[in-house]
Amino acid sequence: MPNVTVRGPVAPHTAEALDPVFTVAGLSVFYGEYEAVREVDLTIGNREITAMIGPSGCGKSTVLRCFNRMNDLIPGARAAGKIMYHGEDLYGAHVDPIEVRRRIGMVFQKPNPFPKSIYDNIAYGPRVNGMKGKMDDLVEEALTQAALWDEVKDKLKQNALSLSGGQQQRLCIARAIAVKPEVILMDEPCSALDPIATTKIEDLMQELSRDYTIVIVTHNMQQAARVSNRTAFFTADVDERGERHGRLVEFDETSRIFTNPTDKRTEDYITGRFG
Amino acid sequence: MAVLSTPRSAVQLASKGQPLREHLFRIALIASLAIAFVFLLALLSYVLIEGWPRLDSRLWENMPSVRNPDIAGAQSAITGTLWVISITALLTLPTGIAAAIYLEEYADRDRWWNRVIELNIQNLAAIPSIVYGILGLGIIARTFGLGFSVITASITLGLLVLPIVIIASREAIRAVPPSIREGSLALGATQWQTISRQVLPASIPGIATGSILALSRAIGEAAPLLMLGAVSFIRFNPDGVFASYTVLPIQIFNWISQSREGFHILASAAIVILLVILLLMNSAAIWLRNRYQKRW
Repeated sequence: MPNVTVRGPVAPHTAEALDPVFTVAGLSVFYGEYEAVREVDLTIGNREITAMIGPSGCGKSTVLRCFNRMNDLIPGARAAGKIMYHGEDLYGAHVDPIEVRRRIGMVFQKPNPFPKSIYDNIAYGPRVNGMKGKMDDLVEEALTQAALWDEVKDKLKQNALSLSGGQQQRLCIARAIAVKPEVILMDEPCSALDPIATTKIEDLMQELSRDYTIVIVTHNMQQAARVSNRTAFFTADVDERGERHGRLVEFDETSRIFTNPTDKRTEDYITGRFG
Repeated sequence: MAVLSTPRSAVQLASKGQPLREHLFRIALIASLAIAFVFLLALLSYVLIEGWPRLDSRLWENMPSVRNPDIAGAQSAITGTLWVISITALLTLPTGIAAAIYLEEYADRDRWWNRVIELNIQNLAAIPSIVYGILGLGIIARTFGLGFSVITASITLGLLVLPIVIIASREAIRAVPPSIREGSLALGATQWQTISRQVLPASIPGIATGSILALSRAIGEAAPLLMLGAVSFIRFNPDGVFASYTVLPIQIFNWISQSREGFHILASAAIVILLVILLLMNSAAIWLRNRYQKRW
């Protein structure tokens, strides 16, 4: 029964508008024997912001972590189905996860600057990737793009941990930008931040979506409504053994998801009746 | 209204008096601390007073003598100790840190052999040092033919403190939050880049602290070296890793075994030297820990 709602509404009004970066088909993610996410089909559009929303434990972060193969790091994690990145299978045998992560950056829930100077935080990615060019310029460019340059330009040698939480998160965004990725994945990037810092990050996302494809996981529906072009709504089904399996319920333009959802569960969620 | 007019705060917040138990508990804690502290102080003042007459340059300028305690010194024991401990550090630290990195960052805990290794490292740390002496004598001195030399002593002491170095380094490595590793890997760094550029620099203070404490233990060891030919009347400094040697604990042991009073004074003076070296190392460990303490 749910399969119909998963596959049905996706195609019609997205196919023509989407210039796909990722095409996800029948993606299931397992942790050992446990199937955390079941049969997800999704398309991520180029230079768009795609939001993934849904209640806790619905697998949205799990799906996000497949896009840069961060799930590989969890022992026993396995992905079935296909994620095509510009037509290339992300989980293909010849694909190097290191190279994947260089092109597909990630920003985490809790700001995680390295215990080094602000400068070295930004320079780290380019250095490990052996990028050429003047490092000072690279650092300035990344910090400027992340709207942090003016706040930190006089203290680049200071430890990054001395920055405020919001600044740290923008530093992490700058750090991701510095390796010149095509896609930036954001896993609840504002959940540890205050409202003012959140607004800054949201403005920054809008700014960045001109150059980058952004996928954001968020608990905050208003945030998804404010920033994203398209929204994917996930929920968890409980099977007969009491195990929760995340699945995609509906994927559509954000305006449509929030004003005229096709699925009853989406409507219930966005109107605050559950989750 | 009657209720409101009573001074409520005074009634509810007034001290009920600390129960006797609370006091007794606190006294017991302080007493336990005091016992350790008083004995340490007594020991220190005893060796200091006893050794004071000989605590002068003769101690490190002269060589040991069997005949005359007045001109005897401990120079060969001091240099011997420095030689042995430096070689021990050179051998143990890279090995111990590498083993810790493997266990923390690479080992798959679902594999039985990794669990066996883990368990046995804990066990190794509990083995009495004399057993390592027998191992050193049988295998390193005899089978490997390294004889009674600095290198034999260093390898044996190295094996003795290796588990401590591994355990301390593992704890330091584990204290680096996983988010740092994720952040690095997400930027396209390899696992080795992540370890060498993020995890190790962040854990060096903890590793250094643990390693210094492990080496302090090695410096004070006499038992295994008794079996490894640390003879106490060496009248020359070691000139390399294959030289004969003696170390301070052995020299002290030997002087105390002498019958003449002069040698006992000498022994106390040498204990002071040994304690000073140990205190310096421990202070370095504390300084390192405070200097580089990380708040994530």
